[in-house]
Amino acid sequence: MKERPSGSGAKTPYKPRVPRSFIGSYRPRIDALEKAAGKTEFADDLTLKSRYPGLLYAKVLRSPYAHARIKSLDASRAEQLPGVKAVLTYKDPEVAALKPTSAGWTDGVDTVSYERMMWRHFRDRRVLGGHACWATDEVGAVVAAESEQIAEEALRLIKIEWEVLPFVLDPIAAMQPGAPIIHPEIAPRNILPKDVVGGSDVFVDKGDADKGFAQAEVVIEATSIHHNATQASLDNWCCLVDWKPDKLTVLSNSYEADQSRMHISQMLNLPLNKVRVISSYVGGQFGRGDTGDQPFFLFTALLSKRTGRPVKFRHSRRESFHDSRQPAIYTGKVGAKKDGTITAMYFKSIGNSGAYADHTMFALKFAPTEITEAALAHILNVRMESYGVYTNKLPACMMRGVGNSQFNLIFGHVVDMLAEKLGMDPIDLALKNFGHEWGGLPDKSLTAVLREGAKRIGWAAKRHKPGAGPVHDRVKKRGVGFSFHPAWHAEWQEARRGEIRVRITVNPDCSVVLDAPTVETGTGSNTCNVLGCAEALGFLGIGPEDIVWPHTVDTETSLKDCVQTDSAVSYLQSEVIAHAAREVKARLLEKAAKLLKAKPEDLDITGGRVHRKAGPGKSITVRDVFMRGDMLPVVVETGRPPNPEKTGVPYIANFAEVEVDTSTGRVQVLKLVVLNDCGTVMYASGAEAQQIGGQVTGLGEALTEEIIYDEATGFPLNFNWLDYKIPTMADMPDIDPALLEVWRGAGEYGACGIGEGTLTCTPRAVLNAIYNAIGVRIDDIPVKPEKVLRALGKA
Amino acid sequence: MKIRPGQPAPAAEKTPVKIKINGQWHEFEPGRDIEPAMTLSYLLREKLGYTGLKVACDEGACGACTVIMDGKAVLSCMKLAVEAHGHEILTIEGLSANDPLIRAFAGQCEPGYGTAMQCGFCTPGFVMAAKALLKEKPEPTLGEIKEGLSGNICRCGCYGGIARAVQRASREPEPEGGKP
Repeated sequence: MKERPSGSGAKTPYKPRVPRSFIGSYRPRIDALEKAAGKTEFADDLTLKSRYPGLLYAKVLRSPYAHARIKSLDASRAEQLPGVKAVLTYKDPEVAALKPTSAGWTDGVDTVSYERMMWRHFRDRRVLGGHACWATDEVGAVVAAESEQIAEEALRLIKIEWEVLPFVLDPIAAMQPGAPIIHPEIAPRNILPKDVVGGSDVFVDKGDADKGFAQAEVVIEATSIHHNATQASLDNWCCLVDWKPDKLTVLSNSYEADQSRMHISQMLNLPLNKVRVISSYVGGQFGRGDTGDQPFFLFTALLSKRTGRPVKFRHSRRESFHDSRQPAIYTGKVGAKKDGTITAMYFKSIGNSGAYADHTMFALKFAPTEITEAALAHILNVRMESYGVYTNKLPACMMRGVGNSQFNLIFGHVVDMLAEKLGMDPIDLALKNFGHEWGGLPDKSLTAVLREGAKRIGWAAKRHKPGAGPVHDRVKKRGVGFSFHPAWHAEWQEARRGEIRVRITVNPDCSVVLDAPTVETGTGSNTCNVLGCAEALGFLGIGPEDIVWPHTVDTETSLKDCVQTDSAVSYLQSEVIAHAAREVKARLLEKAAKLLKAKPEDLDITGGRVHRKAGPGKSITVRDVFMRGDMLPVVVETGRPPNPEKTGVPYIANFAEVEVDTSTGRVQVLKLVVLNDCGTVMYASGAEAQQIGGQVTGLGEALTEEIIYDEATGFPLNFNWLDYKIPTMADMPDIDPALLEVWRGAGEYGACGIGEGTLTCTPRAVLNAIYNAIGVRIDDIPVKPEKVLRALGKA
Repeated sequence: MKIRPGQPAPAAEKTPVKIKINGQWHEFEPGRDIEPAMTLSYLLREKLGYTGLKVACDEGACGACTVIMDGKAVLSCMKLAVEAHGHEILTIEGLSANDPLIRAFAGQCEPGYGTAMQCGFCTPGFVMAAKALLKEKPEPTLGEIKEGLSGNICRCGCYGGIARAVQRASREPEPEGGKP
């Protein structure tokens, strides 16, 4: 990247559509100082042995085989090891009695019961079973000991006789007759059956795709492949469980608290008020914990019950890889008229579910269905077909951009290919065909993000025919490309989540406590909440610094937390806060009316003073209203029922410029432009941090990040951060974040989420730019140098 | 006394291990307070409660556990605690609340660069690595910052904001005495 001289490099701030005092501002996060000073305490810091003197550490047995069954298990030597306090095995009645479950059962987007878990057709997990479905699966036995080392040593002393079973890693091989069957009771051919949420194999069938293809004058077909990537939160997932006779208390760095409470309560048959879950700061979430080793909460709890002591379980870095993005093989086919009017689209995906179904169908069917409703509304004929397939790879799904990232890789691919075949600019092709159900074509939001992106990347000057650009340094070729996607849309989230509650407490000195609970995972929603609250309470004449936002969610004292998923929290909570603030004002006016012997409707509050609406007259401060009265704080706790109104979606896009070294195959991204139509920017610095930040994962997935398996043993080979390559500062290009306010949704602010979308388009934008540079398409990510050389016929 | 390769570790002699941490000497009794295989990160976090440093990868790949030893950034998960014998360790708890880097990381909101942290888990490691970088190169170029901090991972991806914060801090005077 070009060196900027110190002190320059000023970029243009976005222009807000509506001038506001606090919302949309550039400012530090509310927790910036404590985080910069290292004072923020995460779950791992709060659960040191010095704070819990009786603390024990749990470790679980991991399968050494990709597919195996325990024939016999003898833990007697482990039990005798000094320092070992308990060994639980899958044979223990307490363990064996636990219901079959799924690691995705607590989500859907919100708290659900066992009966209502989203993918209840696929309860394929035992909390601790004797059947190991993939290499490093947690299986058989768990130990609590005085130290992690002793617990690990104890696991080595457990004598196990394994029945090693044949395994399969590739989903297409797993669909063939004779393949090893992973969960015969659920999927006799490894293919996940139709279910009530995901629908049948052909889950979208709009219009008549066959007829649409028959009407087409041009048809293209393409493939794109997404491999396993991992969330890579720095803060390894952990929990401390202290099960006392009267109550079970859990401290964790999960992204939710209320869901965890429901999960634990229903799986261990405890009343909800006997389970207390506390969650505070989380060192990065990115979808981690929505699938993966969720059952560890339960066996850690049972170990605490058995020993009567607090027990801590923490993923090692190696174990953190047990959460990941679901791989998918997509094929796409598009037919169009010569003028670029798309007549039919067909997509088929084969997803590698890995060993447990979890949220597979969320990625494969649920997310593409929503995309169809939104972005493909003007395409008359659309068919989508999907197969989730069990294999002996690691189970995967929820990761930032779930389902959308995989879909965008094929979506942006077919748009680019079709445009080339038609001899059109892909921007024009996109504008001609994509919008949403609630608006016409061309869509204003899509037009804005694509035109702005084109301007910022220098599209007109840099885009050339594939592979036909100038050669730099004898072997380097450059190209530009883009991809676009409908944004994460809070109106859909709102309808699915139900009511969200907040509580505003205005103290007699007009300082405020805002209870808008959500687990602080770094997304910036905490700052959005405070800015939204300051804006909505603007009549008090206060600012963000006058508002305290409690960062700990405690199911015993907090309101139900708004779950940190779906990039929706900032929007959802801010709307409720605005609603609550109106109620605060009404209550203050009632208080003041009594004092001033006036009617509340004749009074108003501005700048912290109560005055008559008619004429300036006499006014008193709100503070005086409190101080001269009963000094009782005004407390408003309220919810906002879901607003079913849908107004459409805004768009997001990424533009990339790359340089490909044709002699080594190395791809260097020179510049990324990240564009989000936010509706309303709630917190500009936070939004830009999401835009810039998402590129680390987006570019990692595009170029370097991939979990690699040993085909001979089924063993994952790079569950560590030396061999799994996450981009560092030195690897990242110049990133230009562009915030736009074009679309406007329903509600006070009409904003929508942006966090997940920022990385969704990155891999495809980079791949299209690579094609523009070298004129050869590469269908799967990450694009490592050997793939480029193979594509160029050099390897 | 410093430990050199080939010399028996003090643990074997049962003499106390002495480490200066944030300006104060501490003594650790082998077998009781410190073990031969104990990492420096474990000693600092689990035994002494310096939780500013984080153990994220535990294999020297992410920089979250960075502390400063005798003025240079080290990965405390890759150092044995006994290797710090006779040395001076600075953790983020030892920085002044007024430290220009802390202020610059906290204050970063310059348009176009985002914030310098989101979840904040990697932040203390970045601050300490940047501290060592600025000691060596008081006014680094962007390229030098990128290279100097490339041992640290921020998965929230705030590299742009971090680089701006380091550049800004490099132009600000130290709270006491000024820069050398």
